[in-house]
Amino acid sequence: MEKIKIKINGQEVEAEPGKTVLQIAKEMNLHIPTLCYFEPLLPQGSCRLCIVEDRGKLVTSCTTQVAPNMDVKLDTPDVVTSRKLILQLLFTERNHYCMYCEASGNCELQKLGYEFGLDHFEFETYERKFSVDNSHNYIVIDPNRCVLCRRCVRACSQLAGHNVLGEMNRGIDTMIIADMDIPLGESSCTSCGLCVQVCPTGAITDKRSSYFGKDVQTEVINSNCDQCPIGCGVKVYKRKGSNFIVKIYGDFDKENEGILCKLGRYGALFEEKPRLTSPKIRDDSQDRKIDFDEAIRIMSEKIKDAVIYVDGTLFNEELSLIKKVFKDRVFSLYENEPPIKSDVTIDDIKKANNFIVIGVDLNREYGVIGSFIKRKASAGNGKITTFDNNFNSLATVSENVFGLEELEKGLEELKNLESPIVIYKKLSKKNVEILSKYKNLRFFHLPFETNSIGLLKENIKHKIEKSKNIIFIGKNPEGLKEILDDSFTIALTPYEIEMANKFNLLIPIKDGFEKEGTFYNIDGKIVKKERVLESKFESFDLRTIFEELNKVKSL
Amino acid sequence: MKKIKIASIWCEGCSGCHMSFLDMDERLVELINKGLEINATPITDLKVPDDDTDIGIIEGAVATDHHEEEVKMMREKCKFIVAIGDCAVFGGIVTMRNYTPVDELLKRGYIETESTVDGKIPTSPELGKLLPKVKAVNEVIKVDYYIPGCPPSADAIYHVLNEILEGRVPMLTGELLKYE
Repeated sequence: MEKIKIKINGQEVEAEPGKTVLQIAKEMNLHIPTLCYFEPLLPQGSCRLCIVEDRGKLVTSCTTQVAPNMDVKLDTPDVVTSRKLILQLLFTERNHYCMYCEASGNCELQKLGYEFGLDHFEFETYERKFSVDNSHNYIVIDPNRCVLCRRCVRACSQLAGHNVLGEMNRGIDTMIIADMDIPLGESSCTSCGLCVQVCPTGAITDKRSSYFGKDVQTEVINSNCDQCPIGCGVKVYKRKGSNFIVKIYGDFDKENEGILCKLGRYGALFEEKPRLTSPKIRDDSQDRKIDFDEAIRIMSEKIKDAVIYVDGTLFNEELSLIKKVFKDRVFSLYENEPPIKSDVTIDDIKKANNFIVIGVDLNREYGVIGSFIKRKASAGNGKITTFDNNFNSLATVSENVFGLEELEKGLEELKNLESPIVIYKKLSKKNVEILSKYKNLRFFHLPFETNSIGLLKENIKHKIEKSKNIIFIGKNPEGLKEILDDSFTIALTPYEIEMANKFNLLIPIKDGFEKEGTFYNIDGKIVKKERVLESKFESFDLRTIFEELNKVKSL
Repeated sequence: MKKIKIASIWCEGCSGCHMSFLDMDERLVELINKGLEINATPITDLKVPDDDTDIGIIEGAVATDHHEEEVKMMREKCKFIVAIGDCAVFGGIVTMRNYTPVDELLKRGYIETESTVDGKIPTSPELGKLLPKVKAVNEVIKVDYYIPGCPPSADAIYHVLNEILEGRVPMLTGELLKYE
């Protein structure tokens, strides 16, 4: 396409048509102050701070596309006075007293105040009081701090695809609302928390991180979430000089585009399960704490003919170590072999338009994949068909909803769709047969556990059988329920698991942010989770446990 | 060198800004050597500034009719008025009470507080009457210079006074301009 010649601050540039004045100025390293503008979201021009002068007229640079003969000036007296006036109006419209606001220090409105040397209010301040919405488990909405930039509304629909947040009324009375103006906690909010991350002021904050540390008091560790096999890029904010995570934000530069789900953003921080703080032995149906050496001694006696079960919460390094030590005595507790292998990646999902979801509610698990397909559907360029027998919240955005037994009938109706992607976790044998009949389908399998693919790559197969001695390594021993009773069972696990009374010996291992390691994400790429915290009590990594065992008895 | 006479008052505030003023430490002596003359202030415990005072510094927001009178008096007696601290500049933390009607506020504070026994709302004529709304100083009188901050740093106060002594118009930039 032919480039358009425009002038910015007297300097001639050739600009690609379709780009905005703000984008071109950024490319030229020229600064234009912005507030409602946020890179991955469509510009809206609601705050008016980015105004520039084009041939005597003031226009918002974020929404004005380049046009021939433009002569843009960024800092004429008219522009500067107008920006200052706009800023004054923004500051006095609602409650923007910094000193009792959580966002002070991180606030973008405050930064603009400093940039423009705003040292007092020229107008009487607004005196209406709005009630704070504290109904949500994790998120607080304080409309008194709101500048009505609609970043949250746009992020909720354009990026995360949830369409929960919206606005009502007009002008100074505009309110950000959830669904049809109901408390956020009772709304269809999936707790993905993206609104908190994009809010420029203290209007949307989260309960966990509030007042625990400003951005300057934290260090940011780039890592990957290990709550599910999507392995989203996360930025972990750790309080400097302290063993404490303030908050987890999505990484906009990674495949997940800054989006996280409830599990990734809040699950790991809010729902701390009780940890196993010391090795424990159960004899005479009583738990007794023992020291590490004794635990190793007991374990060494049972290890010779033990069967080892692992789950997909272990990292590649741990799996290969276990495999090296126990060789063909290692089994996976769960079936990880996909019923039909994936032939597409996350990137293909983002590009595709037609989706068939079978038996999985993507608002409850694998939430980021849910976001990718929901935002397509709500923007009008995607079709979702859901097959499920249970309640599935995707139904509201689906074009068609069928029961699982109606798979053949449904697919027959969708025959003419252009290469739809089938998204599934488990499939019955019959449904696999049905699916394999249709050649226009593409497949995207959701692995059962975080590192399911790692287990497959290590060639650790699924099998469950009784044995005299059983060692379980991982977090979810559910699958062992049936076979534990007559065995001597040892669990190497980070938590006080519910089934603890079924195990004879429990040894705490490191978990979560205390350990680092790699795993295979849904696309089969290796991603790394970084270590952020120090253990608060004595727990061990597998290498230490195996080394100690080796000292006592040759494995 | 011409002397510059300053006076200060504190209205609805916490005295933090005056603490910051004293926090200039030995630089206060430096300013005095340059010609600063400290007239009526809470520090000198003089209530009424001289008529020829150059700079009137006001800490705190305007919350009672007494405050209103005092800031108006300052305006009459001083050539320039400097509002220091978030309360004087913006209204600040004390404006939190603007969300509640005055009657309710007094009742809650003097009668209904959990630790109060036989409480009553003070009625002495010597006490200022609460205005319906707490106001920033510039909503009552004209203010010439502003030093926001809660409290403003000693550096910011020093900068402004020094600029005035040196005959320049004070401007706060960078780290000196803070709202917290």
